Amino acid sequence: MSRLRFALAQGVLLSDALTALRAVGLDVSRLGEDRRLVVPSGDVEFVLARPSDIATYVERGAADLGIVGKDVLMESAARVLELADLRFGACRFVVAAPRDALERSLDEYRHLGSLEVATKYPHVAEEHFRRRGIQVEIVKVAGSAELAPQVGLADWIVDLVATGATLAANDLAVVEEIATSTARLIANPASYQLRRREIAPLVERLASWAAAR
Amino acid sequence: MPILAPPRGFRDILPTEARELRAIERALDETFASYGYVPIEPPMVERVDGDSGLERERLMQFLDRDGSLVALRPDITTAVARLVAQRYRDAAGALRLSYFAPVFREEPAMLGAEREYDQAGVELVGPSGPLADAEVLALLAESLARCGLRDATIEIGHVGVVRRAFADLNDDESAAVLDALRAGDHVGAFRLAADAGMRDEALGRARNALSARGRAVESIDIDGVDELREVIHLARDLFAGEPLWGVPNLSLVPALPYYTGVVFEALHPKSGFPIAAGGRYDLLLGAFGTPRRATGFAISVPRLHLALFESGWRAARERALVSLAPAGTRDTAQLAAALRARGVVVAIGAVAERAGLEIVDASVVDHDHVRVADGRVMTADELARELA
Repeated sequence: MSRLRFALAQGVLLSDALTALRAVGLDVSRLGEDRRLVVPSGDVEFVLARPSDIATYVERGAADLGIVGKDVLMESAARVLELADLRFGACRFVVAAPRDALERSLDEYRHLGSLEVATKYPHVAEEHFRRRGIQVEIVKVAGSAELAPQVGLADWIVDLVATGATLAANDLAVVEEIATSTARLIANPASYQLRRREIAPLVERLASWAAAR
Repeated sequence: MPILAPPRGFRDILPTEARELRAIERALDETFASYGYVPIEPPMVERVDGDSGLERERLMQFLDRDGSLVALRPDITTAVARLVAQRYRDAAGALRLSYFAPVFREEPAMLGAEREYDQAGVELVGPSGPLADAEVLALLAESLARCGLRDATIEIGHVGVVRRAFADLNDDESAAVLDALRAGDHVGAFRLAADAGMRDEALGRARNALSARGRAVESIDIDGVDELREVIHLARDLFAGEPLWGVPNLSLVPALPYYTGVVFEALHPKSGFPIAAGGRYDLLLGAFGTPRRATGFAISVPRLHLALFESGWRAARERALVSLAPAGTRDTAQLAAALRARGVVVAIGAVAERAGLEIVDASVVDHDHVRVADGRVMTADELARELA
């Protein structure tokens, strides 16, 4: 049988993910050695990809397992199995507004009946405001949503924050929290059944590693 | 220049593939018929009002001229439920229906997903109990085997058992937990259950149940597990097939909300998605005003085809195609007729699309004689015997 393929998100989660994998006995020493994106290691083959692509790879069976933030899963709506909360990479989806303009924007909402919300996460934002019954117009941006209220592109933003420092530096305040996010161990549903003998022990070891932290 | 490609999510199926799909269709039709299933052809378009099970945004819908909202059918099961309520309301006995038909689903752009694809399946309406559940399971296993698929497993779960694993919760809480499981979110499901006050011991039991596959299911003590095992034993009596094709697996919670009991998915190492899925859906017909027990399955024909193709399967060879170079129109016509009367497949002139068929080049000598590629001249009779 082919090696179990394990997709890892490049970026902020990678070092914690490697720590977790090392702790449960996987050899990750050759990851990051050079610029290769597919790294075989014993019975496992690691694949490095952008966070937002991990869900797609795993959903379509191009990878059997993956480690990716819950934030990415919420935005992608990919059908994968979320098997364990790995408890690192904590961040929050929040609605934020200019610190001094919250009242003004609410007043505007009462007048105009709609708010403009800039975000990199249109699905999460749309779902949140639909649930809350607030009419908004989503403005999708590719980066730095914090900028939008300052230049008049939008009233509010929906963004992912870890410490809140970037919000504060841009004079934004949290209006409300939408959801919290941490890293998840995910699996392709078909792989999880067909390769359960290999996957189950990994799930168990990673879950107990996370619980012990 | 007009745009030549079909609209997004639609495609032309060219002759080589179409021939293979026909071979699959024949194998499935024969297998379904051997269990007493009769074909049904519901319309391509259905009204959008009943609960289709599929989310609205996945429907390809449009307005009819009278202003009512209609949609291209997203599956056949819902159409069958409607039709049973309309036509077989008072039918006694079992209704065994089969289909092979295209279904239509809206897919997000840029995912390479098809908006039209063939589904093949059966619905067994009326009977309940282990023998009925086993019948559709065995029929699925036998259908895949008769198409030539090796190494498929059918994972068999029980939504009722999963529901009972969370029996400590009230209805709303357990519905939320089931929703999370249907979305594949085990982390969220157990967090909801814990937040709702489910005790550690009960959580542990539910966790064990949700991760039990194969022999581990035998140690699960929840009402319904015995039924699951009995169904699998009966299904294997009905169709022996490859060893261990049926695997009990309580982690299986399908995305569609209408399932109530035994559920299953056919998986194959060459496919990242299930090839077929089905189960007992006793509540769907009630939504159309006719509460009847029902179970069935649907095979995704493109996924089955792909899994077959990736494991080296090719459609059974058909007879060679004689490409007959004409000489004199009447001689050509008479010779083609003489060959066809003897069972030879003949196309007049050069062939642009072989569709994977073997081509035999031949040219007309006279109304009863043909010259083949190596220069031999033979009669229609002799060529027919040589190709037989």
